[in-house]
Amino acid sequence: MAISKVTVIKVAPPPLDANIFIAGWGYITTIASGMWMTLAIFIKQLIKIEKTNTLEWPEQPSTYSDRFKGKHFLTLRDDGEVRCTACFLCATNCPADCIHIEAGNHPDNELEKYPVRFEIDILRCVFCGYCEEACPVDAIRLGPEYAMVGTNGGKWVYTKEYLAERKELSGGITSVKDETDKHPIVVVPALSRKTKDIKSYVRHGIH
Amino acid sequence: MSETVTFKLNGKDVSVPKGTTVMEAARRENVAIPHFCWHPGLSVAGVCRFCMVKVEGRPKLEISCNLQATNGMDVKTDTDEAKTAHKWALEFHLVNHPLDCPICDQAGECGLQDYYMSVGKYPSQMTRPKVLKPKILDVGRDLVLDTERCILCTRCVRFEEEVTKTGALGIFDRGDRAIIGTYPETKIDHNYQTNLVDICPVGAFTSRDFRFKQRVWFLKDKPAICPGCSTGCSVNVYGKPETRTYFRLKPRQGEANGHWMCDKGRETYRHLNQDVRLRGAFTTDAKGHRQDTNFAGAIESLGKRLAGVNPASDVALLVSAQHTNEEYKSLFDYFVGDLGIKNVYQWREPTEKIDDFDGLLYRGDHNANTRGLQDALKQNGIGSGVKNEFDFVAKSGAKIVIAITPEVPSTFPSLNRQLESLTELDFVSFWTLAGTVGDNKKAKHAIPMKGFAEKKGTFTNHDGKSGELAAPFPCPVVDGRDISEIVAALKGWRPTHGNK
Repeated sequence: MAISKVTVIKVAPPPLDANIFIAGWGYITTIASGMWMTLAIFIKQLIKIEKTNTLEWPEQPSTYSDRFKGKHFLTLRDDGEVRCTACFLCATNCPADCIHIEAGNHPDNELEKYPVRFEIDILRCVFCGYCEEACPVDAIRLGPEYAMVGTNGGKWVYTKEYLAERKELSGGITSVKDETDKHPIVVVPALSRKTKDIKSYVRHGIH
Repeated sequence: MSETVTFKLNGKDVSVPKGTTVMEAARRENVAIPHFCWHPGLSVAGVCRFCMVKVEGRPKLEISCNLQATNGMDVKTDTDEAKTAHKWALEFHLVNHPLDCPICDQAGECGLQDYYMSVGKYPSQMTRPKVLKPKILDVGRDLVLDTERCILCTRCVRFEEEVTKTGALGIFDRGDRAIIGTYPETKIDHNYQTNLVDICPVGAFTSRDFRFKQRVWFLKDKPAICPGCSTGCSVNVYGKPETRTYFRLKPRQGEANGHWMCDKGRETYRHLNQDVRLRGAFTTDAKGHRQDTNFAGAIESLGKRLAGVNPASDVALLVSAQHTNEEYKSLFDYFVGDLGIKNVYQWREPTEKIDDFDGLLYRGDHNANTRGLQDALKQNGIGSGVKNEFDFVAKSGAKIVIAITPEVPSTFPSLNRQLESLTELDFVSFWTLAGTVGDNKKAKHAIPMKGFAEKKGTFTNHDGKSGELAAPFPCPVVDGRDISEIVAALKGWRPTHGNK
């Protein structure tokens, strides 16, 4: 089939020389006014007439909201031990496979199971927060700390001690969530077993 | 007994022998009826009231485990009435269940979890506090009892009464305070304890050996045959292939073992783990220094030595009865058929009492394939093995001894002593799994081998029945080979040019 009709679309004509001169003048004036603005603000801030918004990080600290998904931490029980029961749900849920737990028998029968080792390979972590979602006892959370520094591979594997008691946590974060909050324990006299004081509180820290 | 009855199960005609219960018939037809207390290897108790089915024409639902099928019966397992009954029966079971799934080893293979997802899914209506009961009770060598998690299905009580006939367990107290337990100052003490962990549908009994080691959903199970004795129980090996570790054995329903297996047999996964295994081949150079090498290097040095002697008189073969029939065939075809070796000895434990039998499963012959080895020896015209064979090996004047060691060290208490005495000989090539060979400085040559969970083949049990190792795990040891592979490599080995 032959082409019956050819459509020609008319585009704008090339600019004349005079137009180039006028447009160029416009550019120069605009750039000059912009530079003047920059210079004016620079001078104002230099002589402290205007307040600057720039932070001198890291000398001047900057904080994110508590809901920021940054460096992980393990919460503590009232008695100061990590709340984690080593159920492996975070490790199961972790899409990056960066949580390594080794469970053990706790000497206190009330607690039964605890993590002997709890390690997060932070270089593998994608900070998705699924571990926090999966945790049935509110033992792991992602905190607002975002600056992470390490000099070798070993520094990037966060151990249980670091996750629970690093100095940024100022003594550790105690979780308010407790199984006993949901079901107040009434001890049956004949079969009583040791129960702890169930009162929990929030220490002033990150959360 | 040939009399059959025909009844309708969910609208489908089913013919079963007379006397069969609806539960058994449904199991045969792959119709899942939720149940806790019924177990195919135990008697019917009918205490969990969970396996309710609707029989048309009868006013109430009936429990299928105790309902014998009769002609013309119309049974339905999937009516709304039956489903509702399952749902609320489950709620009753969960009324006082502590829901400590995060710390419970049964999580992932728990009846309560599975049934909650398949027939439950109700919001909890309980406002009363749960009844607390004793936890973490030591009731046996390998058992931890948590009476709070127990749903009182009495499977364990019936196992103790019917299978082991020890009757150590009972239900004490009444109502919601009823607990399972042992009688005062007694403990469960027999070789079949861990079966209680297997048959417990919840996490009331947990295994001390497996406790907290791994969550079950990370494990893969593959069918195998227990190498612990000549009964040849069908088992599932549970391991984590990604980390090349093994965690436990569990019985699989089989002809030899029914539903059970013994605790001694359950230990036979341990020698497969890397920490106790020979991790690489080694050989000795001309100066007598030991050198680590790979599989090809080990074959090279053994092949050279074999080429330098008269195999018929100078080579002795020391074989244990813990390897597969296929391996024996390739081994004897080459060494006896091709090389004409006369000195073949069977590796025996001096203290073992071959004919012992505990009446249930465990036999005194701690070799999985004694029958298979005897048959293979007979076929090759060699008399069966003799005891104290190490003297014979020494007296045979062999320059090269090929010692294929027993695989499972727990069945050979004197294994290390025997390995020690073998290293006194001139040149012994160990084909072994045992890490102690690598630790022994006097050992001159060793090739790591595959374990029973890592190879294919068959075992012939005491009864002459063969069990199959069909689905191997990846071998944790890089150079691990089974006997067939080692023999094939030796057969194919030729001295390289200029190296004669």
